[in-house]
Amino acid sequence: MNRPRCARSAPKCPDLRAGIAILTGVFAATVFPATAAADATDDYPIPHRMIVTTCTAEQILTAARDFAPIYYERYIVDKHNKSPAVQQAAIDNVHYFYSLSLADRRAYSAEMVTNFADPMTASWPNWAKIFFNNKGVAAKETDHCADYPPDDQSVWD
Amino acid sequence: MRLGNLSVAAAMTAAAVALAPSAHADADTDFADELHGYGIYGQRDYNAWLAKITCRRLGNELDSSAEKSAEFLSHNLPRGTSTAQTWQFLAAAIGTYCDDLMPMLAAVAESNH
Repeated sequence: MNRPRCARSAPKCPDLRAGIAILTGVFAATVFPATAAADATDDYPIPHRMIVTTCTAEQILTAARDFAPIYYERYIVDKHNKSPAVQQAAIDNVHYFYSLSLADRRAYSAEMVTNFADPMTASWPNWAKIFFNNKGVAAKETDHCADYPPDDQSVWD
Repeated sequence: MRLGNLSVAAAMTAAAVALAPSAHADADTDFADELHGYGIYGQRDYNAWLAKITCRRLGNELDSSAEKSAEFLSHNLPRGTSTAQTWQFLAAAIGTYCDDLMPMLAAVAESNH
């Protein structure tokens, strides 16, 4: 005996309701992911490894020089194309970030997602690119940074 | 007659000058071609840039020897690149972009004899 089909006009039709619920869920998931992406995650916008590292900015840059040299060169060339004031502000901002505690770095990362009015970012959008923008580069940097001296300022040149 | 010979010579010189650039159109292309001969592939621009950085590091003594350069390259060439290919890359880089540093490469060869 065949199972009776549920008529569209039937007041109670579990199959149809379930189908509608699934479709609504799929639709919502399609429409709303952009909202979810605006939240900080463990790796976005600042990779987790950069939040937990104990290296200084100079150690990270030196590791980049040796293990991600083209990325490093691009960053330094980009930096040299900025005014001295902007370059110094970037260095100060990076020093500030790595002086923070783990919890404060997380808070900084969360703040970064939504704070588009940050004056540093406005004057140089890629000011922290070599530190934050690429998980693969961040991994190379944090794998090797501890092998370098902590305050070799020449790596900014 | 003499004028005719002069014209021929001038034409040949002009042709040589005009055609020379096509023989060595681009050092990066020559470098890539040489790498291909060693079985080293990858992005042409990446390899050329890496070679130029290698030369600069060797020139300013950030890498104090050709061995240090090879070590630097071993970190930045694709996984699976052999030791021999790393040295071939280094030799090609020096030969193409910083010929004046060739003695540093020769010093390694001499120390191994």
